Amino acid sequence: MKGKALSAKEGINKAIIDFLKKSLEKKCFDALLIPAKVPETESYAWLLLQDESLLELANPLPPVMTVQGGKALSTVTKHGEMHQSVAAVMRPCEVRAAVELFKLKQNNLENITLISIDCPGTMPLSDYTDNPEKMTKAFENAFDKWGEGDNLRPICQICHKFSLTSLFPPSPQESPSDQNEKDFSASDLHIGLLGGNKEKIFLMPCSTRGTELLEKLELPPQDSLEKWESKVKEIIDKKIKKRNTFNKEWLTKIGGNEKFIAVFDECINCHNCMRVCPICYCQQCYFDSPALNLPPEAYLQRAEKRGALRFPLDTLLFHLGRMSHMVLSCVSCGACEDACPMSIPVAQIFSVIGDQTQKDFNYVPGRNRGEPLPLQVFREDEFSEVEIPSEGEETSTGEAEKNV
Amino acid sequence: MSNEYVPRIIGFLCNWCSYTGADLAGTARLKIPASLKVIRVMCSGRIDPLFVLKGFLKGADGIMMMGCHPGDCHYQKGNYNARRRYVMLQNILKILGLEKERIGLWWVSASEAPRYAQVTHEFEEKIKKLGSNPIQEEIFL
Amino acid sequence: MSKALKIKKGVDKGLNDLLEFLLKSKDIKGIFALKKMNENGAVSYSLMTSVDELKKATPLHPLMPVNAGKVLSIFSLKEATKEPVAAVLRPCELRAFIELVKRNQGSLDNLLLISLTCGGVYPLQSLADGNMKKHLPPYWESLKKAEINPDLRVTCQSCEHFIPYLADMTVATVGKKDLDKECTILLNTTKGEDYAKDAPGNIGSEEMETAETEKLKKRREEQNKKIVEDFEKEGLGFKALVKTFSACLACHGCSYACPICYCTLCDFDSKTLEYSPQSFVSELEQKGGLKIPPGNIFFHLGRMSHMAVSCVNCGMCSDVCPVNIPVATVFSRVSLSLQDEFNYLPGKDVEESVPYGVYKEEEFVEIGEQ
Repeated sequence: MKGKALSAKEGINKAIIDFLKKSLEKKCFDALLIPAKVPETESYAWLLLQDESLLELANPLPPVMTVQGGKALSTVTKHGEMHQSVAAVMRPCEVRAAVELFKLKQNNLENITLISIDCPGTMPLSDYTDNPEKMTKAFENAFDKWGEGDNLRPICQICHKFSLTSLFPPSPQESPSDQNEKDFSASDLHIGLLGGNKEKIFLMPCSTRGTELLEKLELPPQDSLEKWESKVKEIIDKKIKKRNTFNKEWLTKIGGNEKFIAVFDECINCHNCMRVCPICYCQQCYFDSPALNLPPEAYLQRAEKRGALRFPLDTLLFHLGRMSHMVLSCVSCGACEDACPMSIPVAQIFSVIGDQTQKDFNYVPGRNRGEPLPLQVFREDEFSEVEIPSEGEETSTGEAEKNV
Repeated sequence: MSNEYVPRIIGFLCNWCSYTGADLAGTARLKIPASLKVIRVMCSGRIDPLFVLKGFLKGADGIMMMGCHPGDCHYQKGNYNARRRYVMLQNILKILGLEKERIGLWWVSASEAPRYAQVTHEFEEKIKKLGSNPIQEEIFL
Repeated sequence: MSKALKIKKGVDKGLNDLLEFLLKSKDIKGIFALKKMNENGAVSYSLMTSVDELKKATPLHPLMPVNAGKVLSIFSLKEATKEPVAAVLRPCELRAFIELVKRNQGSLDNLLLISLTCGGVYPLQSLADGNMKKHLPPYWESLKKAEINPDLRVTCQSCEHFIPYLADMTVATVGKKDLDKECTILLNTTKGEDYAKDAPGNIGSEEMETAETEKLKKRREEQNKKIVEDFEKEGLGFKALVKTFSACLACHGCSYACPICYCTLCDFDSKTLEYSPQSFVSELEQKGGLKIPPGNIFFHLGRMSHMAVSCVNCGMCSDVCPVNIPVATVFSRVSLSLQDEFNYLPGKDVEESVPYGVYKEEEFVEIGEQ
């Protein structure tokens, strides 16, 4: 794979912004969706901009993730195709969320150029809110020692999907679908930050749109990406090891009724986690709907079963239910944990369970637009191990199983 | 071609009194400020405070709410409700230090064409003095 | 002077004794109160129907995980309970419930309402930080001295409505020096007196408002003045508003935590207020850029226009905000002024209609005629 190396001697952020500025000038796209710092504050917000002068506020990799980028892009394109072309500059997890939302028909990617960047992780939102200066410095350190900042969000510390989709294992299997040969990668262009000693950034096209973009800018992808690729793979290996340990530890920590229930002892049922989650797109969540309203006798009956009934109700039903609805598409972005007022490690728990369940389906959310959602398709001959046939009866794979 | 500042003013006029009054002003060839864009609603009680807030936040320089005089509402009590909602809106804007003078409520009946011309001109003058709504520049709304 | 039940035990134990008595010896089928969830000081509202579970109740614990007005609304939303149920809740929670009842979001029938003279609660962050245990001793000390504990929720520090209006029983806590030895529960209504008949303890008399409660009221008024001054120094004007809400994620946690915001689908979450592609294009042409998601200030001002008239200043909104925006401070400034304008005190009188949808013919007569 080849890319285009650009000088970043004046700083990585500046190099990226300059590249985007040129693209706007040359009308490669009409507008840009990128994080920006709100003037006179320490707050970051997504900015949809057309005016180049606003680029001075832009920061492609802020020290915090405020609104999840996939959700922000959905806001812009939910109700139809954007009349103007927009480039969205996002972290890989945000791009993957956008791809999942595409599959869920919650955005429209016509006229959208997805640009992803190598992501070092972000700081916990509450830590940043308490002390923005300290956390900005800590973030810059984490940038230097990529993947080793220990005050990064826990979910970022174990993230091995911080770079180009096609690099992380398992490599994309053949999708069980009859899609045509259209290019279905996650992002259109990826900006590599590693392997250049912080003096270079690498632009690599991942789709026809990305190739066309570089062509229009007269930046032919002819430079070697070896150094970048080897550095990224080195860090991916480290992170995968960390992730496996992390997953094992968490499964022990929360395994079993008592332990799992205790995690949510402090949950106040605010549902912030659901509302900031990019995958949770329902206009009215089932768990907020009148479907769960009951007359008072019913509540008293339920209370009498065990002597007490927690209000607001169905705390575990909400979390497990939400899990069952979205965990197969969970991109481990961590927006949920940032939003929790009680600091419950929701992202870490959902991520662990996401990994385990996605594995069963050989599914990596967001790696490929053409890959259908696991629950939308099926093969006749699969998962026979979960079928328990009666004596002598054949399973779907045609084998007569002994009664287990 | 003068460089005079032309404000952007929205008027929500109730169908039965103020809109008819405005119409009468038109047929009587009274001069009405060109800066005023009229939106007809059936009753001043239909004016959702969110209309006014949205207009204000979108950068309208002035917003006029108009209806029938108290006691004369075509639907009996719509204008009383409008009056309370106006008080509520003014209160919010006052406490937060936002320019509450940009929003006003007038009772104009179907025959009061000169009154319509007068209040719209006076309001336009006031808005011209206030200048354009600073919200127009704000991106991080 | 009203009748009062005096139990010769510490206020916690005394109240629990009364609750047990209500469950065992009266027709009360269940009790809503805070219940202990773990050893860190986490609590959750619970409908307790057994004496065993009731033993874990800790109704006076200074934490509000959810406004109990919302809880009672969930319980009595579909219809009034036919079986009598008791609830222990703070004055602002009770006021919120009354506001919800006025909006047909709950019913007062068959509810025995037990409130307290309220010393305030800690922000939920105290629990998340693991500090609740260490906060308890200083909390009770300030309560006994009718002083304001500086670590409480900002809304609590300036709350003047800490004496409940429509309770059947009120646990006296503010300024009671003998909280460790005696539990005094005022019986405010005939219902309260009836339920207290034969309860453990003696019937005496007590004032709801004492010299001590007056002291706290004055202190809180001072605190409120300070908060208003600070706000007017920094919080006024359009630019200040944008700065205050600059970090807002549009998570709408404030709206969902608010007891008054009861809409099943909020206007600001509905399709009506979503932007079409054309709106984005026209805003881009006009301003060159806009924040995504759009309509942040509009959401806050709009929510204010919908609920500020009934805001009880409980402070749940600030507590659930992931980026520490002082939502409650802004909303309480507006709501106190708005309620003053309409001469309306939310939660004081269930017969008093919410100021929207009602009107007087002769009011605000100067408006509209200029």
